[in-house]
Amino acid sequence: MASRKEGTGSTATSSSSTAGAAGKGKGKGGSGDSAVKQVQIDGLMEMMRSLRHVNIDHLHVGWYQSTYYGSFVTRALLDSQFSYQHAIEESVVLIYDPIKTAQGSLSLKAYRLTPKLMEVCKEKDFSPEALKKANITFEYMFEEVPIVIKNSHLINVLMWELEKKSAVADKHELLSLASSNHLGKNLQLLMDRVDEMSQDIVKYNTYMRNTSKQQQQKHQYQQRRQQENMQRQSRGEPPLPEEDLSKLFKPPQPPARMDSLLIAGQINTYCQNIKEFTAQNLGKLFMAQALQEYNN
Amino acid sequence: MSRFFTTGSDSESESSLSGEELVTKPVGGNYGKQPLLLSEDEEDTKRVVRSAKDKRFEELTNLIRTIRNAMKIRDVTKCLEEFELLGKAYGKAKSIVDKEGVPRFYIRILADLEDYLNELWEDKEGKKKMNKNNAKALSTLRQKIRKYNRDFESHITSYKQNPEQSADEDAEKNEEDSEGSSDEDEDEDGVSAATFLKKKSEAPSGESRKFLKKMDDEDEDSEDSEDDEDWDTGSTSSDSDSEEEEGKQTALASRFLKKAPTTDEDKKAAEKKREDKAKKKHDRKSKRLDEEEEEDNEGGEWERVRGGVPLVKEKPKMFAKGTEITHAVVIKKLNEILQARGKKGTDRAAQIELLQLLVQIAAENNLGEGVIVKIKFNIIASLYDYNPNLATYMKPEMWGKCLDCINELMDILFANPNIFVGENILEESENLHNADQPLRVRGCILTLVERMDEEFTKIMQNTDPHSQEYVEHLKDEAQVCAIIERVQRYLEEKGTTEEVCRIYLLRILHTYYKFDYKAHQRQLTPPEGSSKSEQDQAENEGEDSAVLMERLCKYIYAKDRTDRIRTCAILCHIYHHALHSRWYQARDLMLMSHLQDNIQHADPPVQILYNRTMVQLGICAFRQGLTKDAHNALLDIQSSGRAKELLGQGLLLRSLQERNQEQEKVERRRQVPFHLHINLELLECVYLVSAMLLEIPYMAAHESDARRRMISKQFHHQLRVGERQPLLGPPESMREHVVAASKAMKMGDWKTCHSFIINEKMNGKVWDLFPEADKVRTMLVRKIQEESLRTYLFTYSSVYDSISMETLSDMFELDLPTVHSIISKMIINEELMASLDQPTQTVVMHRTEPTAQQNLALQLAEKLGSLVENNERVFDHKQGTYGGYFRDQKDGYRKNEGYMRRGGYRQQQSQTAY
Repeated sequence: MASRKEGTGSTATSSSSTAGAAGKGKGKGGSGDSAVKQVQIDGLMEMMRSLRHVNIDHLHVGWYQSTYYGSFVTRALLDSQFSYQHAIEESVVLIYDPIKTAQGSLSLKAYRLTPKLMEVCKEKDFSPEALKKANITFEYMFEEVPIVIKNSHLINVLMWELEKKSAVADKHELLSLASSNHLGKNLQLLMDRVDEMSQDIVKYNTYMRNTSKQQQQKHQYQQRRQQENMQRQSRGEPPLPEEDLSKLFKPPQPPARMDSLLIAGQINTYCQNIKEFTAQNLGKLFMAQALQEYNN
Repeated sequence: MSRFFTTGSDSESESSLSGEELVTKPVGGNYGKQPLLLSEDEEDTKRVVRSAKDKRFEELTNLIRTIRNAMKIRDVTKCLEEFELLGKAYGKAKSIVDKEGVPRFYIRILADLEDYLNELWEDKEGKKKMNKNNAKALSTLRQKIRKYNRDFESHITSYKQNPEQSADEDAEKNEEDSEGSSDEDEDEDGVSAATFLKKKSEAPSGESRKFLKKMDDEDEDSEDSEDDEDWDTGSTSSDSDSEEEEGKQTALASRFLKKAPTTDEDKKAAEKKREDKAKKKHDRKSKRLDEEEEEDNEGGEWERVRGGVPLVKEKPKMFAKGTEITHAVVIKKLNEILQARGKKGTDRAAQIELLQLLVQIAAENNLGEGVIVKIKFNIIASLYDYNPNLATYMKPEMWGKCLDCINELMDILFANPNIFVGENILEESENLHNADQPLRVRGCILTLVERMDEEFTKIMQNTDPHSQEYVEHLKDEAQVCAIIERVQRYLEEKGTTEEVCRIYLLRILHTYYKFDYKAHQRQLTPPEGSSKSEQDQAENEGEDSAVLMERLCKYIYAKDRTDRIRTCAILCHIYHHALHSRWYQARDLMLMSHLQDNIQHADPPVQILYNRTMVQLGICAFRQGLTKDAHNALLDIQSSGRAKELLGQGLLLRSLQERNQEQEKVERRRQVPFHLHINLELLECVYLVSAMLLEIPYMAAHESDARRRMISKQFHHQLRVGERQPLLGPPESMREHVVAASKAMKMGDWKTCHSFIINEKMNGKVWDLFPEADKVRTMLVRKIQEESLRTYLFTYSSVYDSISMETLSDMFELDLPTVHSIISKMIINEELMASLDQPTQTVVMHRTEPTAQQNLALQLAEKLGSLVENNERVFDHKQGTYGGYFRDQKDGYRKNEGYMRRGGYRQQQSQTAY
């Protein structure tokens, strides 16, 4: 991509020269219900206006967000992306991780919601049953879109130029062995999510218990009712009138499962991050060891 | 008099309205002549009293009649029986007698009976003729009546001397007296009782008519009091007689001498009364229009009254002849003035002036100290009374007067050891004022002083603490203390233990918060003390406040029976110890008293005192370098964030909506005067610094511990506030200093920490406030060094393989043994996984502690474990609903016993369900 901006909540518009998902038309930002969103939309409009001003051919194909140690799988992102994708089918969200990039490898990923998830979100029903019916799991929430970065030749030339001029030290960021901080942070975040997950499960558990308890009560009630009716029948009295059982036993509110799905997705991202990171670091450590042995 | 003491003591709750009611009731009858003033119910209450009195007196007269009959037929046995009944009846009528004075007919029968018995006893012939029963009864009765009459001696002698003394004053007495003169006449006697009764029943109207005749506008109340005084005069004179025991002639002579002035003086008194009443009326004028007419009638007299004021001053000349009589007048006058107390229209200032005039008169006439003391008591009472509202405080001039007055009173009391002062002296009979040989005056000096102390507190509370005025008022404190000291000396001689306890407490309350600089100085320079100049020696001679506290408190511990005084004394004692850095004594006393357990049941002022004491204890511990104790002592006060309120040093604005006006007033009254305040900033600083010294090493040690608890919430709060700051400038406030210091300490940088804690700003704000500032600072530096060393080791031990103790001692500027001991302690407590290598003086790290990542991984594993378990439960639930399918397989990894049981239970349930 030719140009990019950092910071959450800004909009990305891909100019027509950019490869990637090409869109048909401009999309609206969706219904902005939060202040952040409002800012987002304002920024978007501003951007659009500016682009039109300089007479650039442009298409609105999504938005982007920067992230902190890969913690981006959130409700806000889901909602935003859903509204984008709802309006413009081809919309993507670009996730940019500045910390990882600073460590030497450009971290830029494009995501889309899976059609299944789109369905669920359209229904706005996140109850356990609905999710089960949709047969959706955290693995199938987002689909990654491969990114190909194409720059104009002039920029390529500039890049080459710059690379030659840059100091040697800048390049060796890649080989840094001081990794514990990054790993620690990741672990910490992962731990927090695990905690959340745990709580969520407890909540679900309580719900299950309550439901089953109620089922039992309901059952007992029915049985008692039946017995009584039998007795009444034997005495020749009219049976008791049928009562609305759903009124007597209000089923407990099922907890929304979308959050736990999101958390699971987030945990997954973290795990992948850590895996990736440790794999790289192990390689680096072996290299360092070999180097040391060689030196000795 | 008694009225004052009730209002004085329970003044807290009594509103001015109820106070007025209280006063009007007994006085109500006084306005019998002024029908406009007299309301229906007042009359009713009056009637009730009368009837009770009548009933009792009827009983008495009936008994007296039978006794007289028995006397006539010489039936001594009957006499004895009846006499005993009479004694009982009199006992029943006691309350009324107390009010009305001993009835004359009763005195008469006693006197007559005694005479009669003596006659019989003398009559040998008759005695021989008497039967055995009668003779026996005679001797017993004679003994009994002798004993019994001893109580009424004064009355009887006066009666005997002058049976017709007050004949022209009171109709009843007139009747009785004439009866008395013809006491042999039995028939008339019976009749007289009847007439007496009759008279009694129609008393109010009859009396008033009588007095209308006598003087135009005399109040019944003045009449009543006059009555009383007359009884009194009688008793006083007779007392003096009995003292002399010379003979009746002189007494009679004096009686006659007195006789003339009596009437003379009566007129005077009447005049005075008139003047007084007019004055009262004048005050009341604006209030009641109806009264205006009456006022008009008396207009002329009212004019005279203005001239009458000098008349009061002139009066002494008239009195010069007979001292005893003047007693009566003065006291009568006093009572009059007192009657006006508490009434709406009364000009309180004028009242005080009147009383002071009265004292002058009394003093000029050498009326004896008793009267002066009594009047002084009343002046002080009126001074206290001056402000009807509890919230307002005395004006400075009033306050000065009050102090002077109390001082004078004490002068008199010290000069005259034969005066007895007490609350309970006059409760039985109001009219026994000053007659006995040892003067007995009703009034409690202790209550007065306590009230004075209260007033002083009120003045201090209501003065702006930052004004010059406050300083001026504070100068009076010395005077207050002096008075308390004098009263203490006085009560030590005369008072009961309870009174002594109370005054001791008062003394303690004025002593405990003051830092004894002299004693402190002496302590600092014990050897030079002897070589100092004479003057210094004398200065030093004053009792050490510590010794004084010790003495007073011990007395209270031993003698006091009310829990409150002891509690207060203990708290003050602890406070005093703490203030003077006697930490161990203070702590032991606090622990021994077990106050911490039950202080929540105490009343708010005591709780405030307790809080103050705890705070002082904490500060004391801090000065001693006992950070942990300091922190613990201050934790309760500081953690609530309401230190100001808890110490009674100000109201919080926040809770302003929660309380109404009334509560606010009460709380305002509880506030501690400014000069007793504990510096809140100092308090907070001490708390935060001790929290820092505890918390920072602890945080460093448990950096990666998941279950870490904080020692001090408030300290953490401050840290967080500091973190939230977008831009960190150099610290300004005390808190910022502490936060900055904490951050430096976290890195083990003791020098920065030190410079943040101890610098110009902090010195000015906090440290210079300590009496031994330098000592505290030195202690603090050392503490910072030690704790920084610990923090450093906790934080960076994982970096080192080994570290030389010498380096450490250089880094933290501690001597080697200290470093050694600190590290050893850490090793022993298993805080530091290391060992000491003695020959090289190094600390060798064991590296058994997991690294940060390892710790995190462990925590994560733990969390995942619980996650799995939770997840299993969900599954288990499903499995339960679908009927125990996986039961056998699952047991394999179920370790939790309780969990298994629950699972089993569920399976059972599900099985029954299906």
